[in-house]
Amino acid sequence: MTVDAWIAEPVNWVFSIVAVVILFTAVRVVTSPNVVHAALYLVAALAGSAVMFLLLSAEFVALVLVLVYIGAVLVLFLFGIMITRAPTGFDEGLSNDRKLVSAAISLVLLGVLSWASLSAFGTDTVNTVGSPTATEILGDAILGRFVIPFEVVSFILLSALIGGITVARRDLTPLEEEERKAV
Amino acid sequence: MTFEIDYLALAPELVVAGTIIAALLLDLFLTRSKKYWVAVLSVVGVAGGLVPIVYMLAEGGTRSMFDGSYVVDEFALILKIVFLVSGYLVLLMSVSYIEADRYYQGEYYFLLLSSILGSLVMSSSRDLIVLFIGLELTTGPLFLLAGWRKGDAKSNEASLKFFILGVLSTAILLYGMSLLFGLTGSVEFTAIAAAIPDLVSEPALALSVLFLIVGFAFKASAVPFHFWAPDTYEGAPTPVAAYLSVNSKAAGFVAMLIVMYTALPGISEVWAPALWVLAALSMTVGNLSALRQGNIVRLLAYSSIAQAGFMLVPFAAAAVAGSDLAQAFSATVVYLVIYALMNLGAFAVVIAGARRTGSGDIDDWAGLGQKDPVLGLLTALFFLSLAGIPPLAGWYAKFVMFASVIEAGGISTLVLAAIAAVNSVIAFYYYARVIKAVWLDTPSEELLARPGREYAGSIKLTLAISMGLTIAIGIYPTFATYFGEASRVIATGGG
Amino acid sequence: MDWIDFLIVVLRVVVVFALLLLVTIINVWAERKVVADFQNRIGPERAGPFGMLQTVADGLKLFFKESIIPARSEVGMFLLAPFLAVIPAFLIFLNIPFGRPITIGDRVIPLQGMDVDVGLLIVLAMSSMAVYAVVIAGWSSGSKYPLLGGVRATAQAISYEAAMGLAMVAVVLFSATQAADAPGGTLSLAELVERQSGTWAGIIPRWNLIPQIVAFVIFFIAAIAETNRAPFDLVEAEQELVGGYFTEYSGMRFAMFFLAEYINIFSMSALTATLFLGGWNGPTWDGVLPVWLSALLPFVWFMIKTYVLVFIFFWIRATLPRLRYDQLMALGWKRLIPGALGWLMLTAVVLGYRRFGLPWS
Repeated sequence: MTVDAWIAEPVNWVFSIVAVVILFTAVRVVTSPNVVHAALYLVAALAGSAVMFLLLSAEFVALVLVLVYIGAVLVLFLFGIMITRAPTGFDEGLSNDRKLVSAAISLVLLGVLSWASLSAFGTDTVNTVGSPTATEILGDAILGRFVIPFEVVSFILLSALIGGITVARRDLTPLEEEERKAV
Repeated sequence: MTFEIDYLALAPELVVAGTIIAALLLDLFLTRSKKYWVAVLSVVGVAGGLVPIVYMLAEGGTRSMFDGSYVVDEFALILKIVFLVSGYLVLLMSVSYIEADRYYQGEYYFLLLSSILGSLVMSSSRDLIVLFIGLELTTGPLFLLAGWRKGDAKSNEASLKFFILGVLSTAILLYGMSLLFGLTGSVEFTAIAAAIPDLVSEPALALSVLFLIVGFAFKASAVPFHFWAPDTYEGAPTPVAAYLSVNSKAAGFVAMLIVMYTALPGISEVWAPALWVLAALSMTVGNLSALRQGNIVRLLAYSSIAQAGFMLVPFAAAAVAGSDLAQAFSATVVYLVIYALMNLGAFAVVIAGARRTGSGDIDDWAGLGQKDPVLGLLTALFFLSLAGIPPLAGWYAKFVMFASVIEAGGISTLVLAAIAAVNSVIAFYYYARVIKAVWLDTPSEELLARPGREYAGSIKLTLAISMGLTIAIGIYPTFATYFGEASRVIATGGG
Repeated sequence: MDWIDFLIVVLRVVVVFALLLLVTIINVWAERKVVADFQNRIGPERAGPFGMLQTVADGLKLFFKESIIPARSEVGMFLLAPFLAVIPAFLIFLNIPFGRPITIGDRVIPLQGMDVDVGLLIVLAMSSMAVYAVVIAGWSSGSKYPLLGGVRATAQAISYEAAMGLAMVAVVLFSATQAADAPGGTLSLAELVERQSGTWAGIIPRWNLIPQIVAFVIFFIAAIAETNRAPFDLVEAEQELVGGYFTEYSGMRFAMFFLAEYINIFSMSALTATLFLGGWNGPTWDGVLPVWLSALLPFVWFMIKTYVLVFIFFWIRATLPRLRYDQLMALGWKRLIPGALGWLMLTAVVLGYRRFGLPWS
């Protein structure tokens, strides 16, 4: 595809802008010295991903991303940060001395991955115009072909839920235990 | 499009899933002193899961569902037996351990059963999604179980280290899977295998395979992805450590073998050397580190890392030499079965020994044989078996491993065999050290003064079962060979 | 798409926006009047006829007031929060069909801001986004009462959203069997309304309300909680938290939070009306009445249904005392969510039985 043709496609413009936003916010998630800011940058990065899905006509996935990740998971993040005694202000302890080494390794990994991805997918084009995937097809796939992983996922979530409650909950002191027995 | 569901093929999973829910509900209605009924239910449920498996084994044949993404063949059935039996033994050894301290009992069994369910699902998976989800259900509950002793800083450390590294490895694994899916356009192993030949030159394919290996190697705690294992084993409740060293390790292993064998045989030049290196490193580093351990659980942790290396040897050797992988498969499965039994036995001994001596330090175990001859004998039995001394089961595992390597031929495999041989000698040294401490060292006053308490029946049963099987396989190895032969079915199944 | 279609889209959005602003002005006044009547007071009566211009006067006052930015606040976030409150509230209503599609020439114009296949999901997603305004406002104010209000709001939104979503699922499931021609579910709000047209046995309107009464109750309770209205207004409980998350806000920025709250009340009532009360469905006497009247009537029906629900909002506020925090959580997690799950299961079983019969036969 030539550069001219690429520029002529408005979708590519949107893509470029969103990609820059995602990159910037994703970098800020790890570099921000403030936990709440990091979480909010993550929100922005996820919102950008949702827009990417929209550009690919995957409405359902985009909205589920918003609903689940932005609407629930990250709200819980923020809730967790605020309800515990985690520092909500600036915290220098969030990053450590190995910052440079980690950055170097990340950059090498980025290089290798980009090289490999470009070599594998560099010439592929994504069909920009397509009708949205019907929710019905997704539903049929999840409850048909993928019913086993779907059901198993519910066990993963259930075990995470129950285990989380058990670990987080305050144990009764021996005194309280006695009281409970007495009742 | 509708898919027929073969309920008989799913019966083991359904029985375990039913047990999970029943255990959860039962726990709700029991008072604290009656909680052991949850354990009883779990044990019965897991044993019940074996019934349909035996039936299907007797009937034979391959059952394939959902476009071949979920296959119940003899290989899967054999692995399900391994997971269920080892899960059964872990449940048994948990009963007294969990009841003694005031942990949340019902939730403990619930999580352990969930993990078992995950490994059952995983062993039937012939598709990336099912495999991944099954593997996650296997390891997910263990993050929590490792930190079950909430008041204990070591347990918290165990859980955190396991969790953080585990999540990282999961991310890497998932990245590898997504690359693989992007390249081949399919999640099913057979379809991936069919698409591989056109893609061999892609660097992204090699990268994705390496990512997969890293992810699986973490779960199997192979060197150099083993750092979490010793600390986690030491801090986690001992039955959980036993489970980690057997079920969860086997799950990672089996997942790796299934993927490499059914989906990626076309690109073995990438993963074979990687597995070779993993095997050699795991054996060497695991054994050398085990030499210096004073804590028995840490010793077993490093020994299990080394054993993982031994397990990898046949497969790595055959892949490097380009010989018949099916042979290597059966050797690995035989090793896995035997390792599971004797390692669980060793952990049961550790639990019993820790109760008797009140310590996990090998030095404190000095003279345990005089204090408690039966336990001393069992210690000798399981550790000698781990070292590979005939007529205990361990020798046959080693024998099968060396046999398959020699069959594979080639210089690099012989080097690997030499490394394995040297490591077997090193391993013998530290296993023997435990036995020496138990039988030859003089007991301390303190130990002799400790009151001799009766062991719980469940621990006795665990020890009896694993002892019986260890001796039986050692004397009559054909039994284990059957497992190995049956597991070759994967060569023809998967479609 | 030619320029006329584009113009129509723009016009639809503008109409929705104007409608929401107008309705808010009326609602603020109506609430004060209704609550005043409940409490045997007179309420606003000076500005305009029956005090109807009171809201306008208040709005003007707020407009000219100083907007204070506290010294310890996170300025960027502090300024962003009011917008985050208004935008989702507006986007929710954008999805709701407020009248029967009008045919002009060969164009069919849906009376709806936007009609997408997954409208219901957008509504859910947007209502879950609304909590960010509260959290960010509470946190960025750099003061303890707003922070507490923000934390409360987070927990409340998460808890009640689950119940709300589950109640919606039951409705979607039910309406999947209600289509005359095309069996299969839909998440499009316009289609959901369409499927509630007509009557059962000639007299009972085919509203989802009757077969889905449990879902309706759960949904409406959750909707009240989602909008942080009494008796679930712990987020802004004056006696405990001064003003809650917007304590530090003043002037226009405060007005925006106020606006968002009232838009939310109206949007949630409209959504409830759409899902359960048949939306704009109602007798239009086509052919009997003049064309323009028949076209207008669905909008009237829609407004009447919505205002009945809005009135219930006010009624509940005037009647019920505020819940304690643990009661709020207990109601959400121990009553509504299990209730919604149970109802969902019952709905699924009944519908499955009607469609496939007994599993073993």
